[in-house]
Amino acid sequence: MILLESHSVIIHDVLTDRFEKPSRADIQFVDYDNVRFHLSTPQSKAQVLLSMGIQCWPDLVKFGAREHLQQQYAGLLLGEAETEPEYNVSLLIDLEKLPATPEEQTELINQISLLKATAMSAPFLSAFAEQATLQANYKEPAGAQQMDLQPSEHKGELKVVRYREEEAIYIQASHDHVTIIFSTVFKEETDRVYGRVFLQEFVDARQLQSLQSAPQVTYSNREPPLEIRHIPGLKTGEDWGYVTFILFPRHFANPTKALSTINRIQLFRDYLHYHIKCSKAYMHSRMRYRVAEFLKILNRAKPEVAHAERKTASGRTFRTR
Amino acid sequence: MSRQPPLVIDNGTGYTKMGFAGNSEPSFVFPTVIATHQSASSGSASAASSGGRAPPPVAGKPSHLASKRGIEDLDFFIGDEAVANSKTYSLHYPIRHGQIENWDHMERFWEQSIFKYLRAEPEDHYVLLTEPPLNPPENRENTAEIMFESFNVQGLYIAVQAVLALAASWTSSKVAERTLTGVVIDSGDGVTHTIPVAEGYVIGSSIKHIPIAGRDITYFVQQLLRDRGETAAIPPEDQLRVAEKIKEDYTYVCQDIVKEFKKYDADPYKYFARFSGEHSVTGRVSGVPSSSTDLTPSHLLFAHRRAQNKFERFLANRIISVPQKYDLDVGYERFLAPEIFFNPEIYSSDFLTPLPEVVDTVIQTSPIDVRRGLYKNIVLSGGSTMFKDFGKRLQRDVKAIVDGRIAGSEERSGSLMKSSGVEVNVISHKRQRYAVWYGGSLMASTPEFYNVSHSRVDYEEYGPSLVRRFSVFGSAV
Ligand SMILES: Nc1ncnc2c1ncn2[C@@H]1O[C@H](COP(=O)(O)OP(=O)(O)OP(=O)(O)O)[C@@H](O)[C@H]1O
Ligand SMILES: [Mg+2]
Repeated sequence: MILLESHSVIIHDVLTDRFEKPSRADIQFVDYDNVRFHLSTPQSKAQVLLSMGIQCWPDLVKFGAREHLQQQYAGLLLGEAETEPEYNVSLLIDLEKLPATPEEQTELINQISLLKATAMSAPFLSAFAEQATLQANYKEPAGAQQMDLQPSEHKGELKVVRYREEEAIYIQASHDHVTIIFSTVFKEETDRVYGRVFLQEFVDARQLQSLQSAPQVTYSNREPPLEIRHIPGLKTGEDWGYVTFILFPRHFANPTKALSTINRIQLFRDYLHYHIKCSKAYMHSRMRYRVAEFLKILNRAKPEVAHAERKTASGRTFRTR
Repeated sequence: MSRQPPLVIDNGTGYTKMGFAGNSEPSFVFPTVIATHQSASSGSASAASSGGRAPPPVAGKPSHLASKRGIEDLDFFIGDEAVANSKTYSLHYPIRHGQIENWDHMERFWEQSIFKYLRAEPEDHYVLLTEPPLNPPENRENTAEIMFESFNVQGLYIAVQAVLALAASWTSSKVAERTLTGVVIDSGDGVTHTIPVAEGYVIGSSIKHIPIAGRDITYFVQQLLRDRGETAAIPPEDQLRVAEKIKEDYTYVCQDIVKEFKKYDADPYKYFARFSGEHSVTGRVSGVPSSSTDLTPSHLLFAHRRAQNKFERFLANRIISVPQKYDLDVGYERFLAPEIFFNPEIYSSDFLTPLPEVVDTVIQTSPIDVRRGLYKNIVLSGGSTMFKDFGKRLQRDVKAIVDGRIAGSEERSGSLMKSSGVEVNVISHKRQRYAVWYGGSLMASTPEFYNVSHSRVDYEEYGPSLVRRFSVFGSAV
């Protein structure tokens, strides 16, 4: 696995199984960033209830998450009143009313296993839409040189998604791009070092010819970037990092492209931390290898024990153990 | 925010069972195997060094590991996906006889287990892992080091498999009181252990290992099939898999082997079963559309993109199976397979003690005051105890040994002493297959779990030696 995937393997596997043969279920599981799932069959085997609790739901709702889900999971999404207590979203899948063809069923399963990704995509989509409006209303300043004198009212609303306890995503549209800023914290000294190296590499990688079309990335340690510096209460400690992506309209030109951009970008933080852990594992293998090599050398350096042959009185030999 | 559920991971020789605490079944069960690209380069490295010139001893000669660049350390599969990719990758089994042997592979196995399958950020969770009886403390330390230092877990508890299996048996209706005293027979893929446990503490000196477990039974079935000439139809690479399937689906424990043979000979049509398999002939599919990568928002790393291309090329050459049917007869192996627990001489020439006798010895060598409790609570756990009527036969045979001994001593006392008898109970229950995991899930969902676990703070204070200290669940009982 090189990149993290967007869908939940458990939802995918369990639904694939239940679509074939309905049976009782009561399973709780999680996803990255404090997302909890509960898959159960409260009424009958054929009625699968999938509920999701997501920490940043209050933020997501503000940016139209419920409407977006309503649109994506029409016919499955339960209203707010029927949502399972302690969860934010519930889908009810009736196994007796499944689409007819296997292809459609697979499609449905894939779509449901993307539940978290779909909910999280709402603020991004709304920022993309906002960018389009801003662009339409934007009047080109007289000369190209005046580009940098952009008046600030061409910026959209700053959307804050507090997706983890202390970490947040900031999204802001402007007339020709969308800015996305991640704040992340490293819990450990080592992680911080790995994290910094990775992010630096990450920023530099864009200089490669083949990656020129990639979004612009900047990384800052401690200092929050200008766009969000005015927000009160931002953390500025040594173990804080801010990663800024600038997305241009070409990165979300059509819905498929936009979706794949969103799916990748919302896993960025998890990918970063995954990468750090893999790097540590890799370093550990190197260290184990080194230790084994040194031990070999040490063993070779042992003085050989002189082996005098011992004989009994009758002339038989024996060996000490 | 409500606390995230602990991760419960039971890594066995054959299968890894993992999921979240509080559930009644593991979310994932797949072979404990990892498929890497490594062996090709390490093979060439060793070929080069064997080709004459001895490399200088001290100079840091590039090992296959050191010469790795870029993403190879991320390019691997685990579990069923590893098996599916065995043609292009090489398979490694990091656990042998219940114990972790290859830490490099194990660390990466965990990496993918947690991130890809459980989709959990380990920093947010407590983790419960299991260990075989008599696991050396160094292994626990290595495990703790990986969990705390690589994965930054919030807390860790390493539980003894046998103790978890005892806790799991509480679901059985036969169990009247919830005790952590009993003998656990844990038979998985690699080895069978009989472990006496008193009040949650393993009586280490009395543990017995039996070198017969799932894999041996599979080999035995394969051998029986081959002897009868049934295997001709099966492609050689599938033989073991077919034997395993037959073992899991068709076998049972008989109560009397001689009678069983007679029954089969008198009416073979009634007792012989038929197994249908599918030939996998390899064909190629091509043209898996590759998704355009230029819109990765971040283009994570240049190297990683290259890896993805590689991955896609690989997908495009994926080999699919074209099924072709064959049939074979399943005969005496239906009851002979599990019989090797009760009459090991039919399979092995160096291990000859039947399981019931081992169980009896284990109890007889335990402290006298717990023996009654042990006979009363003989608990089964693991895949290879799943044979039909396994518990029934075991209970009968152990009871016979015990009764024989009692009768003998009564006689020696000149019939002056009368024993009130000893209760022998073998407990089978519906969670037996994944008993260890289930016990772990039960334990980790109690509030007390957080008290007995080693927390991150403790680890930072005491270091890996922390896990040498062992605490059992007390009030959870
Ligand atoms: N229904 C069944 N009947 C008989 N054997 C079975 C059955 N189901 C699984 N097995 C066997 O059980 C074995 C796996 O059991 P389990 O998962 O408990 O082992 P493990 O934990 O991986 O190994 P170990 O405990 O030795 O480290 C396999 O050999 C499998 O073939
Ligand atoms: Mg096991």
